[in-house]
Amino acid sequence: MSDTRRMLAEMADPLFAELGPDAPSERALPQLEELGLPLLLVPEAKGGFGGDWLDALIVFRLAGYHALGVDLPAIAVGKVAGAGEEQHQSLMAFARAAQIAGALDAALGLAVGYVNEREQFGRPLGKFQAVQQSLATFACEAAAANCAAMGAAQALNRGAAQFEIATAKLRANRAVEIGTTVAHQVHGAIGFTQEYALHHLTRRLWQWRSEYGNDAHWSRRLGSAVTARGADRFWPDLTARTDPACR
Amino acid sequence: MQTFVTEPVDWPDTAPALREQVRALVAEHGERDPVRRANSWTKAAPQFSRKLGEAGLLGMTWPTEYGGHERSQLERYVVIEELLAAGAPVGAHWIADRQSGPLLLRLGNEELKRRWVPAIARGEAYACIGLSEPGSGSDLASVRTTARRDGDEWIIEGQKVWTTGAHVSHFMIALVRSEAGSERQAGLSQFVIPMDAPGVSVKPIIDLTGAHEFNEVFFEDVRLPASALLGTEGEGWKQATAELSLERSGPERYLSSMVLFLELVRHAQGKDDPVLAQLVGRLAAEAWTLRLMSASVAAKLARGEDPALEATMVKDLGNSYEQAIPQLVQAAVDFGDAEAEVLRAVCFYLLQVSPSFSLRGGTREIIKGIIARGLGLR
Ligand SMILES: Cc1cc2nc3c(=O)[nH]c(=O)nc-3n(C[C@H](O)[C@H](O)[C@H](O)COP(=O)(O)OP(=O)(O)OC[C@H]3O[C@@H](n4cnc5c(N)ncnc54)[C@H](O)[C@@H]3O)c2cc1C
Repeated sequence: MSDTRRMLAEMADPLFAELGPDAPSERALPQLEELGLPLLLVPEAKGGFGGDWLDALIVFRLAGYHALGVDLPAIAVGKVAGAGEEQHQSLMAFARAAQIAGALDAALGLAVGYVNEREQFGRPLGKFQAVQQSLATFACEAAAANCAAMGAAQALNRGAAQFEIATAKLRANRAVEIGTTVAHQVHGAIGFTQEYALHHLTRRLWQWRSEYGNDAHWSRRLGSAVTARGADRFWPDLTARTDPACR
Repeated sequence: MQTFVTEPVDWPDTAPALREQVRALVAEHGERDPVRRANSWTKAAPQFSRKLGEAGLLGMTWPTEYGGHERSQLERYVVIEELLAAGAPVGAHWIADRQSGPLLLRLGNEELKRRWVPAIARGEAYACIGLSEPGSGSDLASVRTTARRDGDEWIIEGQKVWTTGAHVSHFMIALVRSEAGSERQAGLSQFVIPMDAPGVSVKPIIDLTGAHEFNEVFFEDVRLPASALLGTEGEGWKQATAELSLERSGPERYLSSMVLFLELVRHAQGKDDPVLAQLVGRLAAEAWTLRLMSASVAAKLARGEDPALEATMVKDLGNSYEQAIPQLVQAAVDFGDAEAEVLRAVCFYLLQVSPSFSLRGGTREIIKGIIARGLGLR
């Protein structure tokens, strides 16, 4: 990670943790503004923060991780693309994918922490193989969502990113299914309470999954694009997305 | 919690040229039959392996002193993903190039290195992995094949099973018990056993499709010189598990069914069928994500880090993906359609072989156990 990105993460992380899901926007917004985060994507020349898409990934991911109540990603994206434009939908799909990636990691962390503490049958739940295997499955899904979001951020930095954004949102959406299911299952009844923090993550995950393109939307779009290019172009297109000379 | 830290991968500048080279070579000398192009890293074609050797595409990262080409790990990665995506028949040399060669270079004595490594790089020497035994599958630490010291020689007795490619291989790297009475992970060593050594015999095991890919291998009073010991006596467990990182991290863990996916795209073209389009989209998204993950593991290996946990995650996701493709295609496509003939043939072949994807290289359950340990649960 570059130094500015590390700095950005070090700034955003504690603030988002403190604001959390419940801070009212009257209180949250001034603090976010003080760090320049709503202008994250606006170029420096225009008085913004001048961040790129990998910077955005970090901030959006942390917003998801801490289930930040204020929709900072929507504010930041709104400054560079008008609502209703096609580009706006894509950028917001990326933003939601990044938030999902962060929220899944946080829910996984909660789940792992919980099963290591909660004892039944005389030992921590985490010692039971069935519990371990579900959490391992969850971890893989969270990893995939994070990688896909990273791929989309890199592509946005390079330029055209329709394929990668569609992929990231689709992959993140799929991960929500397993992530929320396992997280609630291993928490038992406590996870179903208002008092315990899991629902801040899972209720948002369910909502984000529907926003800016559900599975049907993105898979059909992506599939039509791939099919139109034809079987023989699929792999060469894929490699051309990352190879230096083709960029 | 972040279990899989992704860093952008810097693909080598030489990648486009390398891809062209591989694509041209596969177009000329590769396999045409779509069924044989599926799961292609199990299809042995020594002639093709030698062609790759001649073209400098094997042993790519190894020192020139041992016939290698001193290219980067990511350049090698580019070549192997190209071969697999095209369904090239790479089975003969696959194991030797992927893990036995690197293992010999890292731990082998000069004699072993000189004898095997340059020949692997030429595409002429092939290897097999001697881990599993009839009583040791998931519980690998229970191996019972023994090596006993007799003067200057080692004597190997016992049996290995499920040995892929033993019948086309020139040597095996075997994990055996070298200390009498030792238990579990202790007292194990690795040996390089030439397959033509007296006392080694290979008996085919025919798989459910009727193909001969794996074997039983028997050792009866097999006498090896002291130099056949690989690495350090008694360190076999550590050596073998380090080797598994190489075995698990590659693109072969998600690309086995790529040919079927491509046939699906061919079938869907011009049909404007939303069910097929959605399936193509879903599978394409998964392939792209797995490629990013797999390459990111390769980049970590290239930086000298140990991405063992990430490698197991890629294997688990990748195996599930390549296993799911045939099931999903079967569910979505009408095979009664005469146009779907090729698709049907590839799909049925893969339906039959896909159960092995989450067994070979460590079963799903064992892999998930390793991930659970990485999560701090064990
Ligand atoms: C195509 C193919 C190629 C292979 N090639 C090679 C090769 O070249 N060299 C080689 O050495 N081996 C090879 N193998 C063997 C492979 O590594 C073993 O099949 C694998 O390690 C599992 O061992 P097993 O088949 O004895 O199953 P078992 O160990 O008997 O397991 C059966 C089932 O029980 C599950 N299980 C076992 N223990 C546990 C546990 N503690 N908790 C939960 N579930 C458990 C397993 O996950 C599996 O699902 C190959 C296998 C295949 C299918």
